[in-house]
Amino acid sequence: MKKAPWLLLVLFLVVTLCFFPVTGCQPTEDPAVDDDEVVDDPNDVAVGEDYTIVVGLSQTILTLDPANHRDRVTETVIRNMYDGLVTRTPDGVIVPEIAESWDNPEPTIWDFTIREGVKFHDGSDLTVEDVKFTFDRIIGEGAMEGETSPRKGLLGPLEAVEIVDDRTVRFILEEPWPILLAMLPHQQIVSKAYLEEVGSDIAVQPMGAGPFKFVEGTIDDRIVLERFDDYYGGSPDLPPVGPAPAARVIFEFMPEVSTRVAALQGGDVHIIHNVPPDMVATLEADPNVVVKTVEGTRMHMFEMNVEMAPLNDVRVRQAINYAIDMDAIVDNILLGYGTTVAGPLLPHGFALNTDLQPYGYDPDRAIELLTEAGYADGFELVIDTEDELKDVAYAAASMLEAIGIQASVRIWDWGVLRDQLLAGERMMVFGNWGNSTLDPSDLLVPKLRSNDRGNYSQYANPELDALLDAAEIAVERDERISLYYEAQEIIYNDAPWVFGYVGMEIEACRSNVTNWRPSTDSRINLHRVGLE
Amino acid sequence: MQLARIIERILIAIPVIIGIGIIIFLIMRLTPGDPIDIMMGQAGHVSEREVELLREQWHLDESLGVQLGYFLKDLVQGDMGTSFTKGRPVWDLIKQALPATVELAFFGAFFALLVAIPIGVISAVKQNSLIDKISMAGAFFGICMPIFWLGILLIIIFSINLGWLPTYGRISYDVNLQQVTGFYVLDSIITGNWPALVSAIKHLIMPSITLGFPMAAIVARVMRSSMLEVLRNDYVVMARAKGLREYTVIVKHAMRNAMIPTVTVIGLEVGMLLGGNMIVETVFSWPGLGRLVVSSIFVRDYPLVQGVVIIYAFTFVAANLIVDILYTYLNPKISM
Repeated sequence: MKKAPWLLLVLFLVVTLCFFPVTGCQPTEDPAVDDDEVVDDPNDVAVGEDYTIVVGLSQTILTLDPANHRDRVTETVIRNMYDGLVTRTPDGVIVPEIAESWDNPEPTIWDFTIREGVKFHDGSDLTVEDVKFTFDRIIGEGAMEGETSPRKGLLGPLEAVEIVDDRTVRFILEEPWPILLAMLPHQQIVSKAYLEEVGSDIAVQPMGAGPFKFVEGTIDDRIVLERFDDYYGGSPDLPPVGPAPAARVIFEFMPEVSTRVAALQGGDVHIIHNVPPDMVATLEADPNVVVKTVEGTRMHMFEMNVEMAPLNDVRVRQAINYAIDMDAIVDNILLGYGTTVAGPLLPHGFALNTDLQPYGYDPDRAIELLTEAGYADGFELVIDTEDELKDVAYAAASMLEAIGIQASVRIWDWGVLRDQLLAGERMMVFGNWGNSTLDPSDLLVPKLRSNDRGNYSQYANPELDALLDAAEIAVERDERISLYYEAQEIIYNDAPWVFGYVGMEIEACRSNVTNWRPSTDSRINLHRVGLE
Repeated sequence: MQLARIIERILIAIPVIIGIGIIIFLIMRLTPGDPIDIMMGQAGHVSEREVELLREQWHLDESLGVQLGYFLKDLVQGDMGTSFTKGRPVWDLIKQALPATVELAFFGAFFALLVAIPIGVISAVKQNSLIDKISMAGAFFGICMPIFWLGILLIIIFSINLGWLPTYGRISYDVNLQQVTGFYVLDSIITGNWPALVSAIKHLIMPSITLGFPMAAIVARVMRSSMLEVLRNDYVVMARAKGLREYTVIVKHAMRNAMIPTVTVIGLEVGMLLGGNMIVETVFSWPGLGRLVVSSIFVRDYPLVQGVVIIYAFTFVAANLIVDILYTYLNPKISM
């Protein structure tokens, strides 16, 4: 018994030795920073010597094959290796990329002229053949090594792609589709010859014509890219044009937000995305970090089942709109990082009806309407939502309590909830829907056209359906605007939703990152990003 | 004879694993939520034809029985299918993630045993002393503490405040480790890449402590109580009476016998380390199986979930078998 302290000593020594590599090493340095690199004018970015930009993404990606996924973060990574015919500015404006120009001679025909001198990472020229091959692979049934691309639907009525001459490809649509251009940034051009050689291995060995080429990495670990020196320069509308300043780019996958924030603060990564509003204060207090925001494209709203009593009474739905103080929600839960909406469209989207004024917070009016509808004593209401949105749902429930509605919140796994929503079995859901094209077609059709795939409010109005269908194929811009204006009015008055808000995209970077700002569609394109 | 028993145990494990495969196949399909529907997401244009084609492609348009037939046919041929969402063979994805998980579990267990066994022994030998009380309070704390909290706490202290350890991942991107086995510590030793070895170990420290802490707490308590029991036995008194050194009495006579119940717990805990590390993998952005399976459950990636669960089942069966073999070594009176 006397010699037991021996064991303690041994334990101490072993533990100390175990930690030795830690205490013996220098603090983690930021390996990517090169003090000599200073980028003053974004239009005159010198190609960097040897610096690396590390990005912390909030999830792992699904594949490196541009045609085989439906995932925004996956597209973010792929987009740095591949270019599209057109692209979007961070503000969401469509600009030429591999296509130099385009023409729309007939409503169902679009001609794209391909830029000269575009090269793939293997040194081969990008030709019209590659463009045709890329789109055939997406729209063709079983055209992707025997399988069908899950991106087929993103090209709507695109029927065929034909080669007109060695610089022009023609897109032939089954019917007019005014949002074709807005949808094209989501498709990236692949090399026909390379695909025919590697087949489905493109998912692990990607090769495109974008600013960075693939070096190594896997979709669950990290992706390492390096600058493509023969890059044609990218869109002239997005200066600077030329090879990327960064020699290397690394995407790291960090699902836990605290880890992302810690990695940024610790200098292990340079850019992180998907920062929740409550983390902004922590980051802003750090002198080495800059928080950047941009208006997002995801509409958040409460959808009310218009088939289910008492929500089948428009007065009740309007009352709920008056009872929920959306400004307070944005101020207190989103800490101001969001914009409330008056109707069903994004505040910066196409064809926004600016005549519509928000319902506004007016509990007296809400009680009045409820009384009129015969629900002066309120009723029981369950608000369904998913975990990450629960705070807003709880806030809304407490506001509804204030006007006598006995509201509660139920949190679900989305996959389980969605089936019940589509079957019309739930009363009210708080959720969101992406609208990165900024076009109403992408939001109103799936959400509010009768029986469409995201119509959780079970709203069915033949008048609205007719307007939406007409706008889908209307070619004239003004005509589309007037159709959507009318559609918004109907939706506003029928109030199948509690019109909610659009959250801001909050991203953050180290203070030495230059020429980077978040995109409205949350993509991170590193072509023009430098470090000082 | 012993070898025959081991082979028999391995053969019994095969139907167990297939049975678990069938159970998870059914559970996944009985869970509401359609894989294609979830894949298409809450945005974008979707055509009906596209959904129909994908459904056909993944046999989701067939009856449950037919789907099970496909699954079992592939499984007995060693094919776990192709991931719906990632479009790659499930086995390829598992192969990529498995070394990360095993390496972390190994170091987690290593940390746990390194700390727990000496603490358990000292606490028993010095029963009711200050050391005993502090250790057992620490163990109690370890059992109760949520590991995601511990992980984040470690990151804040050692990465942000002190800057000693990296916040995420398995290795720095600038050490150029050539992969041989997928176990980075081993690979860096094999290839003689010392910067990679240092980097791999630095990356392992916090996740291993986080993962191993609850196990250390449990093992320390079990070790202490079994040591206390053993120390009261006649043969320990006898050993002392013979005039043996205290160290010999404790380590050779008492500890070896006290290890028997401890090994059972360790076996179960190692299984837990391999199967239950989703949280640690998420907190430390560790590219292992746990993170893979969690994300695939949410998107109803049936083949991937099935594949990973089968691997987990295999691990538990293997851990139990190893524990049984260890028993016979520790106590020759026990046979398999």
